[in-house]
Amino acid sequence: MRIIETIRRVNQPGPPEHSVRLRVACLCTVIVSIAACASMGEIPVTTTAGGIGLVTAGMAFSYATRSRPPSWVKLFVAAGAIAASVWFVHAVLAPVADVVNVEEPLTLLLVSVLVLHSFHVPSRRDLTFALAASAGLMAVGGAQAINLTFGWYVLAWGCGSLCGLIWMWRSASDGGLISVGRLVGVLSAVTIAAAAVFLVLPAPTVAAKLSLFAKAGIGGSVGIPGALAGDSGSPSELAHPGSPQGPTRVGGYLGFAGSLDTALRGNLGNTLLMFVRAQRPSYWVGETFNSWNGQSWTATNAQAHPLREQSPFMLPFSEQSTASGQTDLQTFYVVSSTANLVFHAQSAAELWFPASRIFFSEDGTIISPIGLGKGAIYSVESQVIAPTSEQLRNDARGGSLSPSTEKTYLQLPHPYPRVQALARSVTAHDGSTYARVESLIDWIGSHTHYSVHIPPLPAGADTVDEFLFGNRVGFCEQISTSLAVMLRSIGIPAREVVGYVPGSYNPITDLYEVRADDAHAWVQVWFPGFGWQSFDPTAVVPLSNPAPGSAALHDVAAALGHVPPVPSSAVLLGALATAGLVHRRRTRPRTWVERVARSAERAGRHAGRHRRPHETFVEYATTLDTLAGDGSSAWRQLAIPVQASAYGGNEPTLATQRLLVTQANHLRRRVTHRARRWHRGGSPAP
Amino acid sequence: MSRWPRPARPVAPIGGAVAILGIWWLVAHNGGSGWVQTLGDLVFGTLTVGILGPAVVLARAKVYLFRAPTDSVAGLPLDVGIRASTRLRVRPICPRGEEVFLGPVGRGRPPDDGVTLLPGRRGVHESVTVDIATAAPFALQWWTRRVVLPLPGALHVAPRRGQPDSLPLGHHEESGETNDWTPADVGQPRGARPYSPGDSRRQVHWRATAHAGELMVRDLERPSAEPITLRVALPIDPDEAERIAERALGTVVQLLERGARVRLATAETMGPVVAPVVDRRGAGRRLARAVADAGIVPTPAPAPKP
Repeated sequence: MRIIETIRRVNQPGPPEHSVRLRVACLCTVIVSIAACASMGEIPVTTTAGGIGLVTAGMAFSYATRSRPPSWVKLFVAAGAIAASVWFVHAVLAPVADVVNVEEPLTLLLVSVLVLHSFHVPSRRDLTFALAASAGLMAVGGAQAINLTFGWYVLAWGCGSLCGLIWMWRSASDGGLISVGRLVGVLSAVTIAAAAVFLVLPAPTVAAKLSLFAKAGIGGSVGIPGALAGDSGSPSELAHPGSPQGPTRVGGYLGFAGSLDTALRGNLGNTLLMFVRAQRPSYWVGETFNSWNGQSWTATNAQAHPLREQSPFMLPFSEQSTASGQTDLQTFYVVSSTANLVFHAQSAAELWFPASRIFFSEDGTIISPIGLGKGAIYSVESQVIAPTSEQLRNDARGGSLSPSTEKTYLQLPHPYPRVQALARSVTAHDGSTYARVESLIDWIGSHTHYSVHIPPLPAGADTVDEFLFGNRVGFCEQISTSLAVMLRSIGIPAREVVGYVPGSYNPITDLYEVRADDAHAWVQVWFPGFGWQSFDPTAVVPLSNPAPGSAALHDVAAALGHVPPVPSSAVLLGALATAGLVHRRRTRPRTWVERVARSAERAGRHAGRHRRPHETFVEYATTLDTLAGDGSSAWRQLAIPVQASAYGGNEPTLATQRLLVTQANHLRRRVTHRARRWHRGGSPAP
Repeated sequence: MSRWPRPARPVAPIGGAVAILGIWWLVAHNGGSGWVQTLGDLVFGTLTVGILGPAVVLARAKVYLFRAPTDSVAGLPLDVGIRASTRLRVRPICPRGEEVFLGPVGRGRPPDDGVTLLPGRRGVHESVTVDIATAAPFALQWWTRRVVLPLPGALHVAPRRGQPDSLPLGHHEESGETNDWTPADVGQPRGARPYSPGDSRRQVHWRATAHAGELMVRDLERPSAEPITLRVALPIDPDEAERIAERALGTVVQLLERGARVRLATAETMGPVVAPVVDRRGAGRRLARAVADAGIVPTPAPAPKP
C-alpha cells in the first residue's frame, strides 16, 4: 500500500505551467536534438520532418490543455510508449542485431517517446523530462559524430537548454530573473565544472567487442582485384623538382604501391584523410617491404591471397612469435580518398569490412578490393605485442624465423662495407639486438637531419650510401631505409614499413585525425620472442593514449605559445586597467556626503566596528569617537553637517564641503595608522 | 534548522543526477565516443551548478527587514516589509506567516517586499525568523536557510480579546449608594450645580440653566474606590496560558470601558510587575510580555488619601 501511495504521489500532476517561453525553449531543444540525430544519419529525413511537426503540434496541444489535460491523452501516451518499447525490444533481440541495428531503433524509440510525450506536458516537471530526453537524443547523435561540426548542434542545444532552465527558474520563482552579470557567472561555473570533469576523466574506450559498423563509402572500384590503387594512379606533385619513376600514388605519397622509391618524396599536402578511433595510439601500418635494391623497396613476399568470408574476417596471424599480445580495436572513418590498403595497428586479427572478400598477404598487408573514399568505415582488431625495453633487451629466445624467411629479411643488393663498418663501430659495445637498434637510432638522431626539401638522388646512386656518407640530410624513407640496411648489414632481420603516424588527437571527439602529410615510413625489427617490433628513427611515438584533459591542456598551451607575448600582454594589461577604472568609477562616491560617510565606514572597518544597518550616521560617528578613546568628538562633528545636508537640505558652502572631506580623510588615516600599529603589537588597540 | 544553506528534499534530485551521470559516463567511457563524453561533461556541469548553485546564491543573499508595526493581535494578519537582494522564497517561521516570493522581478518593476505574518499567540518579538529558499539559477534543487531578521522595535502581539470574567459587583451598585464616588473633572454625571469661575464651558448644562435661571454646570463624579488589581497567573501550558491571557484582556477592557482603574499583576521575564493599565493597547502589551509564573505577589496598593 505504501508503494502504491508513493507511486500515486509521484504521479500526481504538477501545477500547470503557463510560461510560453519555457515551452518554446524546451521545444527548441527537442527539435535540435532530432535534427542532430538526422544529421548523423540516424533517422531518415521524412521521420525527422514528421517528428519535428508532431512535437510542435504536441507542445501546442499541451499548452492549450495545460489546466485540464484530457485523461485519454495520458492513456494514449502510455499505450504509445509501451508499444514503442515493445517494438524496440523486438528490434534489438532480432537474430541479426548488432550495435548498428541497436542505434537506429534506439534513436527511433527516443524520438517516438519525445513525440508522444509532447502531447502531455502540462506541468514544469514534464518539461524537465522533455529537456532530459533531448539530452539523451543528443548523446545518441553524438555517438556517431566524428568531427567538430556536431559542435554546432551541441551549441544550439546548449543555448536552448540554458534558456529553458533559466525560464524554469523564472516560472518557479514567480518572476525571478537572472541578470546579465549573474548569467555570465552561471555560464562560467558550468564551463569550469564541465572542464574540470573533462580534464579528470580518462579517454573513452570501446570496451565491448560487438558487431562493428562497416560502410563502403564512395571510393569506387579498383581496376585489378588485389592490386594496389597506387600502382595505377596518375603522376603526383613532388616535394622537389624531379620526375617519379613511373606512376605515382594515392594522396601524393610514393608508398602504398608495389614499390617504394626512396629517392623521391611526394608533396603530400594537408588533406584530412581519415579519423581513427583507437584504444591507444599506434603507427597505422599500410604495407611492408622486404627487398631493397639500393633505391627502392619492393615486397617479394606480398602475394595477396583472396579471403572470401563475411565480415568480420578472421585473419591468419602472420607472425610466429611466442608472446601473446593484447587486443586493440580501431575504427577508421575515411573522409578523403586514400589507398586501398586496410590500415591497422601492428598485426590485424579480425576485420569488419564492407566487402565480401579481401586480399591478405603473408607479411600482414591487407588490400581492399574496393576503393576507400569518403564515408567508408571499417574496424580492425589487432594483436599488439608491446614489450617493455627491458623485455626486449633480455630477449634471448631462439630465432623462430625460418632460414629462408630470415634470409629474405637480411637481403642486401651489395655488401655495403662502409655501412657495415659504421654499424659495427656504433654497436661495438652492445650485447643484445635491442641495444644495437637503440644505438643505431641514437647515432642517426645525432648525426643526421630531417628535411623533405633535398635535391633528388643522382641516377644510379645508392640511397643509403648517399644519405649516410653524403650530406646526411633526408626524409623519413631515407632515414628508415638507412636504419634497416645498417641492421641487415650486422645480421639483424629488418623490414621497411609504410603507413601513417597516429595523427593529431582531438580531445573532444576522442579521434585521431590522420592527414595526408602523416604518411610515414619506419622500420620493423624481428625479435624472436615478440615478433616484429616497430622502431622509428625519425620521430617518437607516444606510448599511451593521451587523456582528453591533458591533450586539451597541451593544445591550449600550444595555442598560447603562438600568441605573441608583447601585444597580448599589452592587451591584457589594457583590459585589466579598463576594468579597474570602470570598477572605480562605479564605486566612487558621487557626493561629498558619500565621501565623508565612506571615510567613516572605512575607519570603522579598520577599527573592527562595522556600521550596522539600523545605525544612523551620527550614532555611528559617536561610536567611532568612543572607540578612539581620546575624548574627542571629531567624527560626530563631521557627522552632524553630513546628516543636515543629507536629510535636512542644509548644504554647506563648497569650501566647507572640501574641508569636511579632508578632515574625514585625515581621521580615517589616523585610525588606519593606529590599527596597523596595534596589529604589529606596538600600541593598544584602537 | 541550520543557518547554513541546506538542500530541501535532496534525495530525488541528487540521486537522480548521480544516477544519470553514472550511467552516462559508463556509456560514454565504454562506448568510445568523445562527443558523448563531452556532452556528459556539459550535463555534469549544468547539474552541478543547478544543484549546488542555489547554496551559493543563498549564502550570499542579503535579507533585511525594513518595516514592521509595533503592536498586533494574535490571529490577525500584519504586514512587514522584507527586502531581499535576490529572488527568494520566504516562509515566516516565528511568527508564522504566508509563504511568498520576495526580491527583484525585473527592470522597471518594483521588487516584491511585503510579507504577511499571522501570529497565532501573544508574545513579544524582537525579531522575525524566516526560512529563505532559492533554486536559482535552474530550478533543479531548492536550498533553504533560516535567518533571523531583527525588528526595528519590539513587536507586541496582544492576545485576542476573550470572554471577560464575571466581576463581583461593588456594594454601591447593589444599594445605589454613591459614597464611593467623589467629584471629578471627568467621570459619570452626578447632577448639576451653579457655575463657579474656572468651570469649563463644555460642562454648562443648558437645560438646568433654563430651569434654575442661573448658569448651571454638570457635576461629575468618579469612583473613589481603589484601582482593581487583576492578577494574571499564566500556567506553563501555552494553550491554557493563551486562553487565560485572552480572558484577562477581555476583563481588563471591560473594566476600562466601565471607567474603572485597573492594575495588572503579571510575571515578566525580569520578574513580577504590577502596574496600572489605562487602555487596551497598554493591557495588550502587558499581557504580551507576561510569562508563566505561579508565584506572583501583587504589591500592596497605596493607601487612599484622606
